[in-house]
Amino acid sequence: MKRFVSLMLVLLMVLVFSGCTAQQVQAPPADDTPEESATQPETQEEAPADTETEPEETPDETGAPELDTSELVTLVFYLCGDEPNDTAVVEDALNERMVEKFNTKLDFQFTTWTDYTTKYNNTLTTGGADLVYIAGWLNYHTLAASGAFLELDDLMNNYAPELRARAGEDTLNMCRVGGELYAVPNLWPEYVSTGISYRQDLVEKYSLPVPDSLENLGAYFQGIKDNDPDQPIYYGTADTNSVDCTGFDIAEALVIKYDGFMDYGYIFDADNPSVLTDYFWSDDFVEDCKLFKTWADAGYWTRSSLSNENNTDAYKNGLTTAIVSGQNPNKHITNMNDFANEHPDWETKYLAYGEVTGYICPSHATQNGTSIVRGCKYPERAMAVLQYLMMDEETNRLVQCGIEGTHYEIQDGLYVNLSEDYGYEAMDTWNLRVNEFKLPQGTDTILQEMFDYYATIGEKCKYPNVNIGGDFSEDYSAYEAERTAVVNVRAQYLPPLQAGFVDDVDAAVEEFRTKMLEAGLEKCREGYLAQWDAYCQEHDYV
Amino acid sequence: MTGTKTNRIRKDASAVAFDWIKYGLLTLTALICVLPFLVIISGSLSDNATVMREGYGLLPKNFSWSAYETIFESPKEIINAYKMTIYYTAIGTAVGLAVIVLTAYTISRKEFKYRNVVSFLIYFTSIFGGGLVPWYLMYTNILGLRGSTFIIWFPAIMSPFLVILMRTFIAGSVPDAITESARIDGAGEGTILTRIVLPVIGPGLATVGLFLALGYWNDWYRSSMFSTSKETWELQFYLYNMLNSATAVSEMSQYANVSMDAVPTQTVKLAMAVVATGPVLLFYPFVQRYFVTGITIGAVKG
Amino acid sequence: MTATNAKLRSGVSLLERPAAARTIGIWIVTGLSLATLLLSLPFVNWFTLTNLSGLWKALSIPNEAVIYSGYSAYNLLSFVQQSGAGILGFPASMLLLVTIAAALFQAAFLFRVAFKRYGNKGYLQLYSTGTCAMILSIIASFGAIAYLIFANARLGITWMLPSPMVCLVPVLSIAAYVVLKAMQKTERVRQHEHGFLVEFKRNWLLFLFLVPCFAYFIINNYLPMSGVYFAFTQFNFRDGLFASPFVGFKNFEFLFMSDLWKLTKNTVLYNIVFIGLGNVLQIFFAILVSQVGSKWFKKTSQTMIFMPYFVSFVILRVLVYNLFEYDYGVINTYVTALGGSRIDFYNTPKYWPFLIVAFNMWKGLGYGMVVYLATIMGISDDYYDAAKVDGANIFQQIIYITVPLLTPTFIILLLYALGGIMKGQFELFYQMVGTNGVLYDATDILDTYVYRITTSQPLSMGLATAAGLYQSVFGLVIIVVTNFCIKRGNPEYALF
Repeated sequence: MKRFVSLMLVLLMVLVFSGCTAQQVQAPPADDTPEESATQPETQEEAPADTETEPEETPDETGAPELDTSELVTLVFYLCGDEPNDTAVVEDALNERMVEKFNTKLDFQFTTWTDYTTKYNNTLTTGGADLVYIAGWLNYHTLAASGAFLELDDLMNNYAPELRARAGEDTLNMCRVGGELYAVPNLWPEYVSTGISYRQDLVEKYSLPVPDSLENLGAYFQGIKDNDPDQPIYYGTADTNSVDCTGFDIAEALVIKYDGFMDYGYIFDADNPSVLTDYFWSDDFVEDCKLFKTWADAGYWTRSSLSNENNTDAYKNGLTTAIVSGQNPNKHITNMNDFANEHPDWETKYLAYGEVTGYICPSHATQNGTSIVRGCKYPERAMAVLQYLMMDEETNRLVQCGIEGTHYEIQDGLYVNLSEDYGYEAMDTWNLRVNEFKLPQGTDTILQEMFDYYATIGEKCKYPNVNIGGDFSEDYSAYEAERTAVVNVRAQYLPPLQAGFVDDVDAAVEEFRTKMLEAGLEKCREGYLAQWDAYCQEHDYV
Repeated sequence: MTGTKTNRIRKDASAVAFDWIKYGLLTLTALICVLPFLVIISGSLSDNATVMREGYGLLPKNFSWSAYETIFESPKEIINAYKMTIYYTAIGTAVGLAVIVLTAYTISRKEFKYRNVVSFLIYFTSIFGGGLVPWYLMYTNILGLRGSTFIIWFPAIMSPFLVILMRTFIAGSVPDAITESARIDGAGEGTILTRIVLPVIGPGLATVGLFLALGYWNDWYRSSMFSTSKETWELQFYLYNMLNSATAVSEMSQYANVSMDAVPTQTVKLAMAVVATGPVLLFYPFVQRYFVTGITIGAVKG
Repeated sequence: MTATNAKLRSGVSLLERPAAARTIGIWIVTGLSLATLLLSLPFVNWFTLTNLSGLWKALSIPNEAVIYSGYSAYNLLSFVQQSGAGILGFPASMLLLVTIAAALFQAAFLFRVAFKRYGNKGYLQLYSTGTCAMILSIIASFGAIAYLIFANARLGITWMLPSPMVCLVPVLSIAAYVVLKAMQKTERVRQHEHGFLVEFKRNWLLFLFLVPCFAYFIINNYLPMSGVYFAFTQFNFRDGLFASPFVGFKNFEFLFMSDLWKLTKNTVLYNIVFIGLGNVLQIFFAILVSQVGSKWFKKTSQTMIFMPYFVSFVILRVLVYNLFEYDYGVINTYVTALGGSRIDFYNTPKYWPFLIVAFNMWKGLGYGMVVYLATIMGISDDYYDAAKVDGANIFQQIIYITVPLLTPTFIILLLYALGGIMKGQFELFYQMVGTNGVLYDATDILDTYVYRITTSQPLSMGLATAAGLYQSVFGLVIIVVTNFCIKRGNPEYALF
């Protein structure tokens, strides 16, 4: 009986309450009034008025506003790399000037080369720095678009007009993301044209063709193999975390044929940048894979190649007779030095792919630059300090080379290092390079020759000496999930194809294509193309 | 004394068979475990280029000290890194061991009403984590410890695993009856812990202490995350970062016109292992007695 | 029956009788609990939005967004997502957690009352469930009100108002709490039990022992755990960590776009083998070493077996590669020397499960063995002496004495490892397999997959956290279920 009563009571309560709440459910009848409210004029008035007043104030003032230096502050300058031993010495010398001029101290801090991307992002997230080194390879565009840095236009007008004039609007415009300026680029033009490093001594010794085409590269490899069976021919690694076209790095050599690769299997044509052609569904793709398979079968690289780790010493140690990926004029210089030190009888030569395709361009302004971190408490001071670092010759040289007499000296106009504790650009301040102040090193003449040569080729391009895709950055938030699936499929199927480890190329290509489509490649491509179109329109690349 | 007695008795067949099995298997396993180490040592004494071309062997190929020369290029720094690591290991292990014993003792006590809740709360941390960023934020921004030495050793003083391991050791070596009777005799928790529990958990202390110490010795991550100057670097980070900068700088050379001394990366990798492991192997026998020779529990029983 | 008789006699004496008072009390609390539960169900709105059009303007909400005029704690996050007011997301998810916990406890209390599952300590367990439920409900309702104040202040509006329901909840639950506490007090006396304060007074030293442990875990684990929330946001620097847009389960999509079944299967199977085989081997070798008579041999072999632990994964990669490489690898050199044909390890997935397991066993044997060795060393000699007197041979001694005494340690280690069953050994797989897509079907685990994805796109904190959350929830479910089962069998072996 007791149970019965309790059951009744419970039922009663449920009824009472659910009755009461049923009304509640009816009360909010999806009261979304988008159009109406969006166009409601009453509230609209306040908001724009608020935002408009602020920008007006600053342009009002005619001269640059006075920099407030009443308080001694320390600014953290966050750099990518290892700390040189004499950082403190240089910091002290620098801060003497800084305190006198800006009542400011600079504290250089470093990522070290271990886990640098993680630490770099952490520092930005937690606001652990004021000034910061930026670069395309540190995802400058994504970080800037996401708001990691301060907008610099006004700051530069007010506190660094000289620097602005020196950099020039064209260069600065290259650092814009979504129309806003977030970085001050370095002021030393350079060419980072990829190409192929090969062994000139072997070319001569066995009278082989210069690898200036895929056929000649094959002949070059085969010639070495025929003459010296014990010589390892090529050391390659796989790339599994991107959406580009090259899963095994021998495929980078294809740039000798095409002007360049874009993401999601597109080929880029420098004369007609706005139209991207499909590579993965072209016959060229199948043919290229077949070519690589003949190379793999000929034993140019080991069947364990896909598990190879990145080995930067492979060329130097004779594990490979050519490097086709990630090379550039600077690396060529490094290779030359390495050979001179360890194998004086070897000779390396460099061929930029652009020399063959005719498309070559200087590196993009965002290759090395400086930004001010959002959340920096003294952005005015940071900007003024940055201008001083870049526009004052002595200061710039102090940071880049250390103290003259202690760390370096100048002989015949060339930089000579005196101390291991502070080398050339020891703090990796590549972002502070300024053409007029940059002390030349011994090898710089060779480099300059290469640059000059490339510049003449670059002149002849349709868009002379313009890095066309340089500041394009994809916003994949709308198709992020599909993109991750594409990354995954590409990682699994593309490297074996391009490394020539599949038995039947045609079938494997088919499988790769099907899997890519299943992963949602179409959706990614759609979004990507739309953005690329918009980008080309914006920059008048037709 | 029991051992001597059995030796005098003639061994039966099973004991003889067992002798063969155990000596045979152990020798074999020990060899499998040690061979790679010989390869590592000989590799570290080889010439980098030769090793890259021909692979490793049991004997050094083209003998060369260059890997060690690279590592000890600036002896002051590496000695400092050794010193710091020893400091972190010593203080971290000592503090950690103390905290772990206190915790494990508490949650092993049947009288403690909330022991299961506390155990769960401790264990829970091993399953759920917020990831790197909030952890980093906690130590750098909220506690403002970036660059200090405290932050290098503090985060590793205990782990759920070690607490639960210690609890198991305590539960296994101290029967409830003993603590119960001690309590009835009027002993407080402090007395029970120091007089009854501590003397018998030698192997447990040694195990947990060893794991803690090894954790400290092998760590590089906290230096990487939190150090702001070389002064506070751990040894492993010093070595690891040396390797990383060699790779990174040659990879980055497209951005920098840097002239960098060539580092023999392959052999340095191996030499690093030798440099980092050596001291531990020298120290190990001091702890080892707890694992290979029993301790006398007589102290309690008597 | 006595209660009904009493009711007939007089209302006053009814309240004086403890049993009757308890019945009435339980009835009151049940009613209140039911009311509270109903009020905190998803379809009861706790928040009302007035001036929707103003809100639309003030937050510049996109046109396609769906905004209601009222919200409960459950769908509040949809408001956060639709309105783009990321700053409200974290507190809203905290509120959601507390509300769910409160509703669950209320339901548990009602369940216990309805089916008379009072537990084994009189009514005490029922009461403590009730108290927990009421406290949580109080926190939830006050939290909701605090949330409103916070939201209005942060957004600079005054149009988010509490509905009458949310004001009713604290009144009801505080009343129920007071009644429960009163009943709990009398029940405690009856059951000779004591509350927290008494326990604290009695065992204050033990509580003191726990202080450093608590401080550590709060700093190092519990406060940073708030980062789990990032699994539901799309981080950007402009808004910052806790104010980035709330995106619901979008970050989890990438897990389901992959072959999640394959990844889960690989991760779990590898871990099962690692845990099972690993522990068995460790026990086996620990017993072997402990049985060795010669001290010298004992120490040397144990040290030698320990050594692979010091081989870092980076070096393991070098060793493995040199062993199994196609052209000059040690194995293939011997195979060809013996007249066989080369084995293409790096293009044949089927070898790798064995290789990975073997190398992991090799590397972890010495380290894991230490635990068991130390346990064996803690076993009193008396046991063996007695067995010898009884004529047990060495195998019998091991099977009947050593193994059973190692079992508790074994089970605890096993249980402990179970919680991490979805967390793969990233370094081991990454270094052994590297970037070799050919082997992925057999070797790709969740951690290597997540690594590949997160390195392919910057600012992927949300994805990494989401994957971590998947692993954690998976592990938690498994460990809670297993622990529950083990606790029923033998509470000695339970982890918590």
